[in-house]
Amino acid sequence: MRIGWFTPFSSRSAIARFSRAVVGELSKIANVEICHFSNDDLQQTTVPVLHFSSAAAVSENVFSRYDLVVYNFGNHLPFHGEIYLLSRRLPGICILHDFVMHHFFAEHLLEHLNSPGTYSLVMERLYGEAGRISPEARIWESDEVVQYPMFEEVIRGALGVVTHSLFFAERVKEAFGGPTRRIALAYDAPQEVAMKRGELGVADDDILIVTVGHANPNKRIEDVINALGQIGDSARRVSYAVVGSCPAVYEERLRGVARANALEDRVHFLGHVPDDVLRSYLANADICVNLRFPSFEGASASVIEEMLCGKPVIVNDTGFFSELPDACVARVSLARHGELVTQLRRLVTEPEVRARIGANARQFANSEFRPSRYAAEILDFAWEARSAFPLLRLADQVAVELNRMGVTRGKRIVDELATGMNQLFCAEKSGTPLWRI
Amino acid sequence: MRIAVLNNCVPFLRGGAEHLAEALTLKLAEYGHSAVLVRVPFRWHPSRHVGEHMLACRLMKLPNIDRAIALKFPAYYVPQANKVVWLLHQFRQAYDLLGTAEGLSENSEGRETREMVVQADNSYLPEARKIFANSHITAERLNRYNHLQATVLYPPLLRHDHFTCAEYGDYVLVPGRINEAKRQRLIVEAVHHCKSNVKVVVAGSPERLEDAKTIRSLIGNDDRVLFINRFISEDEKVELFSHALACAYLPYDEDSYGYVTLESYFSKKPVITCTDSGGIGLLVKDEITGLVVPPDPLRLALAMDRLFDDKVRARRMGEAGCELVESMNITWDHVIESLTK
Amino acid sequence: MKIVIATSITPFVEGGSTYIVDWLGKKLEACGHEVDILRFPFSEDHAEVLQQLLAFRLLDLSEHGDRLISIRWPSHLLRHPKKVVWFIHHYRSAYDLWGTEYQSIPNTPEGIALRDAVIAADNVGLCEAYRVFCNSSVVKDRLEKFNSVDAEVLYPPLLSPELFYSAGSGDYLLYLGRLTRHKRQWLAIESLRLTTSRVRLVIAGQPEPGSEFYAEELQGLVTRNGLESRVEILARWIPEDEKRSLFANCLAVVYFPLDEDSYGYISLEACAASKPLLTTTDAGGVNELIIDGANGFVTPPDPELIAHGMDDLYNDRDAAREMGEAGQERIAELGINWARVLQRLLS
Repeated sequence: MRIGWFTPFSSRSAIARFSRAVVGELSKIANVEICHFSNDDLQQTTVPVLHFSSAAAVSENVFSRYDLVVYNFGNHLPFHGEIYLLSRRLPGICILHDFVMHHFFAEHLLEHLNSPGTYSLVMERLYGEAGRISPEARIWESDEVVQYPMFEEVIRGALGVVTHSLFFAERVKEAFGGPTRRIALAYDAPQEVAMKRGELGVADDDILIVTVGHANPNKRIEDVINALGQIGDSARRVSYAVVGSCPAVYEERLRGVARANALEDRVHFLGHVPDDVLRSYLANADICVNLRFPSFEGASASVIEEMLCGKPVIVNDTGFFSELPDACVARVSLARHGELVTQLRRLVTEPEVRARIGANARQFANSEFRPSRYAAEILDFAWEARSAFPLLRLADQVAVELNRMGVTRGKRIVDELATGMNQLFCAEKSGTPLWRI
Repeated sequence: MRIAVLNNCVPFLRGGAEHLAEALTLKLAEYGHSAVLVRVPFRWHPSRHVGEHMLACRLMKLPNIDRAIALKFPAYYVPQANKVVWLLHQFRQAYDLLGTAEGLSENSEGRETREMVVQADNSYLPEARKIFANSHITAERLNRYNHLQATVLYPPLLRHDHFTCAEYGDYVLVPGRINEAKRQRLIVEAVHHCKSNVKVVVAGSPERLEDAKTIRSLIGNDDRVLFINRFISEDEKVELFSHALACAYLPYDEDSYGYVTLESYFSKKPVITCTDSGGIGLLVKDEITGLVVPPDPLRLALAMDRLFDDKVRARRMGEAGCELVESMNITWDHVIESLTK
Repeated sequence: MKIVIATSITPFVEGGSTYIVDWLGKKLEACGHEVDILRFPFSEDHAEVLQQLLAFRLLDLSEHGDRLISIRWPSHLLRHPKKVVWFIHHYRSAYDLWGTEYQSIPNTPEGIALRDAVIAADNVGLCEAYRVFCNSSVVKDRLEKFNSVDAEVLYPPLLSPELFYSAGSGDYLLYLGRLTRHKRQWLAIESLRLTTSRVRLVIAGQPEPGSEFYAEELQGLVTRNGLESRVEILARWIPEDEKRSLFANCLAVVYFPLDEDSYGYISLEACAASKPLLTTTDAGGVNELIIDGANGFVTPPDPELIAHGMDDLYNDRDAAREMGEAGQERIAELGINWARVLQRLLS
């Protein structure tokens, strides 16, 4: 199969790293080319790479090179904007890296197209009455944005959709009538020699607890500090490193919480650090804390990395994290107060527990998140998506005609047609109505 | 050109539109084209079938065809790059018949269907390179409901050179299918009030048995009315017209003028019709090419008597009618040229 | 009874699948039934097939007529409570031609999905039918193998077989039929080249639209082999009278299209005209009508062997005539008549 793999390919992009790893494996079992619009320093690869200046610059000839195209989507407009525009012209398989795509569309519709009217139209089309929210409300800056993820807009007309968590796949199925699959995210941990504790300024006998990434309120750092304040004397040996940028006001607040718990010299805010420093913190950590509530991502690359490093990670029970096996993580429910305290105390005071969970985590991650596994699964899914194409194309054709007749979703004729088409063409009555308007 | 004539159909039912579709197909071949008549079955009861048949038409393909000439709903939805519409019928149940017994019901299903039909007409009819209509009434309705312009193109008879005028005899001919809407009973009632010796010949097959019964009971024992209760052949029809005094054609509110009117004029016979007969008003000019009276048996009797008593006038009107038809270019030359340009 | 006959057509193309419909209509009317025939244009382009199948499915004929007789594929998808399918013309690309050089659907996941959808739809249309008939054993076997449908073979008769006659054994073999490659008139010329007798060959038929070059090819084949005095090619429409006369005066009929479902009207006309028919083992449905040595010869598709058959016919006119007369018996044996057709379709 000839596949065109559209992705950001900048060395700065995590999705680019993912693509490089997966396509490297995929090229052993299919003919793949990387197609990108990046102008930065690029990832290194031996797979053929095609650069385009814009979606408009991709000609019909290019389409005919491939039996199938794959589009990688994330919430960041600069990396994915041209890919989105191209996907409007040529249906392909969409890999959704982020659950929330609202920021992407806000920027695209409001800043690039300067069209608040279109933003409102799309919101209403996707979410009905509830979607009637003014752009001025800037809903994407609040937690409520998870109610209006807008990923539905990206996948309109797609050949198929890939997500990296089951919860996301279920949400996609509600909005999309075509083939959908969840594939465990592939991760390619860079092999580096980590710096030693001394270089990082961490004492050898400290219990190093690490939370990585941009400090968002949804990472529940406040809860972690409060919980540490309740685990008793063992907190004396803890060093909690928050590794990643943190808005000044929020940091002030968190420092206040630390002071209230008498932990001001145990909690350290490192701000943004270079990658090798971040990796070194991970390598040296005893415990990782990776809470997300509510969850914005389609899967979490950070927890995969932490597990690949063989660390016990404290996670909560939402989204992607709830799909990780119990034996490989230290799970807490944020609804049940006190679980975080219990888990922290146990991990801080019992090195065997840390070791056991960490080992399980590494074993699981090595197998589950391998790029070769992802490649095999996505090739299999490509076959499935291509097989669905003739009937999907007919469904789209019918949808276009019904639209022209003024028929909208929810009308009786729509369901009757979907049922009729299924009965006529699907021998095994596989059930999913091929329906999209 | 290779042409498909698109019409809808109800199996086993053949009316004016079916005859026109067949005539058009034959004529296209006469003029050197390859023509095929495509009849799309249409079911509209219960109303949920309407949308399905509309969609079926949208999904059809016409291989080997250079041009399509579409006549009726929903056949005129079939996609073709070079489509011309000669509108005989929209789905009137969704338009002017809405709210009447024949129209779509007032329930939610009926309303949904109506919206679909209107939207679809608005969306798909403009795909045609040109829209013609068979009468000014049809064109006017299209304009009023869908804001679309149609050029009127009158349907000619399949042939007319075989009609003759042997004499202006003593009977008024009432030809055509016998049913409520055609109102043959009005003429039969009128005869009872006639003062002259004018007779009436009703010739045609009834749509239902009751229709024949009605006529027969109205005639009673009156021997001034001859009831030929069967389908009459073309030859018989020509003969009947040839020896008639005049022709009476007075349907209720029909869109088009009716072939009977043309047949009468080619036989040089005046036409008696009513003020509420509809499109026929285009061709029957009161006192010039015939007589237009209110739908009242007394007035109809008067009209028949007048013609019987003044055959010279009857002849003048008949000839004027013939001239009128000829001046309106209701010919196949004109039709074929318009539809294949 | 009121009977609707439904079929698919390619506009302006006439042939076996249009005659069967016209003739069935005539015969039903002659028996006093009221008939309405619906002929739906249909494109066999695989990219357009699915949407048209759906269109057929959406048309509802259940309120019309006491019976629906659907003939050419995919008219069996129409809905009616008393639907009788007289199945002709499988979409063979999705069936037995899949995996061969004649497969017209691309061998891709999309193509496979299309093929599966066609088969699924066929199963739906056939399984709900009141009765399923087909026009040959070839088709019956295929319906059983691919669609698990048990169809009854109902051979299509000629409209007026009594108009065909024999006027004695002439000296030419007659190859009638549309001029197109898969009818294999070229094989008849190749074989004639190897005959030892002076037997002649008359090839007559309308060139198929899009295959006009084929008629030239045939002529070229004749010229290159110096057979001008023995082969005559009439590349045009043959009117009925002329056709019957050609049959009447021929020695025998030659007909070996490649792998056709039905025996074809030509072979039936040969039997009606009391002429033996020379065909090959790979001609398809013809082999249900022609029994080797009884009413004709059936040889492997090898020019030398066919040439033997041609010579045998020429050299022994009496035997040829006897075989020809057996043709009528064969028709009776197989029950190829309208009374039977009507009785079965209306049962």
